[in-house]
Amino acid sequence: MVEIVEEPAGKDKRKIFRVKKEDLIPAMKSFYDQGYDHLSLITGIDRRDKIEVVYHLHSFQKNEYIVVKTETLNDTVPSVTSIWKSADWDEREQYDMLGITFEGHPDLRRILLPEGWSGYPLRKNYDLSKVQFVNMDEDGNDYASFDPGDGW
Amino acid sequence: METTKPVNKYVELNMGPQHPSTHGVLRLKLLLDGETVKRVEPVIGYLHRNAEKICELDYYCDSLLYFDRMDYVNSLSMEAGFLEAAEKLLGIEPPERAKWIRTIMAELSRIASHLVWAGAYGLDLGMLTPFFYVFDLREQLLNIFTEASGSRLLTNYMSIGGVYQDFNDKIIYMIKDFINSFPKKLEEVFNLFVKNDIFISRTKGIGILEKDVAISYGVTGPMLRGSGVDYDVRKAEPYLMYDKVNFDIPVSYAKDCLGRFLVRYEEMRQSVKIVKQAINKIPDGPYFNPKAKKSLMIRLRGEGEAYGRTESSKGEFGVYLVGDGTVKPYRVRVRSPTFKNLSVLRELGKDVMIADLVAISGSIDLVFGEVDR
Repeated sequence: MVEIVEEPAGKDKRKIFRVKKEDLIPAMKSFYDQGYDHLSLITGIDRRDKIEVVYHLHSFQKNEYIVVKTETLNDTVPSVTSIWKSADWDEREQYDMLGITFEGHPDLRRILLPEGWSGYPLRKNYDLSKVQFVNMDEDGNDYASFDPGDGW
Repeated sequence: METTKPVNKYVELNMGPQHPSTHGVLRLKLLLDGETVKRVEPVIGYLHRNAEKICELDYYCDSLLYFDRMDYVNSLSMEAGFLEAAEKLLGIEPPERAKWIRTIMAELSRIASHLVWAGAYGLDLGMLTPFFYVFDLREQLLNIFTEASGSRLLTNYMSIGGVYQDFNDKIIYMIKDFINSFPKKLEEVFNLFVKNDIFISRTKGIGILEKDVAISYGVTGPMLRGSGVDYDVRKAEPYLMYDKVNFDIPVSYAKDCLGRFLVRYEEMRQSVKIVKQAINKIPDGPYFNPKAKKSLMIRLRGEGEAYGRTESSKGEFGVYLVGDGTVKPYRVRVRSPTFKNLSVLRELGKDVMIADLVAISGSIDLVFGEVDR
């Protein structure tokens, strides 16, 4: 039984639904079958003690826009790439910025930052005082080196 | 006798990031069979500045600056997109005059963006002449932006609760002058394109994007309308004053590069139509909400969440803001249309010639400030 709880709408007056992480895939499939064929946006939010993942779904036929939320304590969320192809790059970006592992993603790599970057910039505990550069070693692999300066 | 057999049939080729046809810093990893592309993988991030993080560290009103720098040829639409979300979150409603001014400026900005695209697309396909014509037309628009805001590209014209300064008679005269002369000049430029056999043969039937593929990849904007989906945020969820003006949504059922070109051309003419109506409808009154005057601007607090979406020249531009009750946003997330539109290049770039790949990637209308943010 998939549990989908409706929450009070946000300030933009869009419907918000909350699902458990385990129910995410069946819940998303049921939304897809209801006509939400456009996954507009995936957002990860670092709530310090947990990570919240927000999906914005849109239906071209019904012209409706809804928000689906789930949360995770161990930084892993099932991937929805099997339902919407646009989830591919969005999930890679959220992995890149927040370190969320999307289980079942076919090619989970960093997308905007270089492969050797250390840390996840949109985490609240990311250390902005460190200045890092990514260099390439003799084998062609990236690695990060740190500048001892003051930083930001 | 032994004959030497080719060890590997395919050749890997790196294209960009410093290639003139990649509109900035797009890098493509190609797998080639002769001159046919078997697989293409876009590599992005060379212009990444992490605007989302910078916005988290700044006041709401300061975040606006970074939105100018995302789509730098269409900065006024970007500002309208951010304010759509920010004003919902902060609970500040701009006065009607400001909304009309924003509508006009966003549409002029859309024209400027499409003009740059048309010129650059001509360059991609080996046509140098239209480039000079469109930049001459765009210069008139930049003069209007300069008169209104003081700067040409990164205008920072709109602000929370209104606009930075009011329209004066000179700006209104300049805009009227522009919209009267523009359609005729645009048609001249249009003829340079469509009466050129080389342009037609290089775009017609090239880069077919099917409707279901486009929807699955989250493609929006002229790319989606070029694939036969009649969808525009300005009609679907009207913001600013778009429900008070008459205009049409151009749709092409050809699904190819030429179709996308024609959609953008018609959009420019529709934008002129919108501006023509809007310029006569601007009411008198204040141009900013006194709740957000300059001295109070940094004290604005937002709590909750809001998602605002607008139609930029590239597609659906969405901003998702989460506030925690302080003067700075807790999380800023940008739905960049070109980021999604570029991801479909992996589908479009299968089994095409390298020269066609340039035509296809040009037709996406890439601006890397926005893809990489």
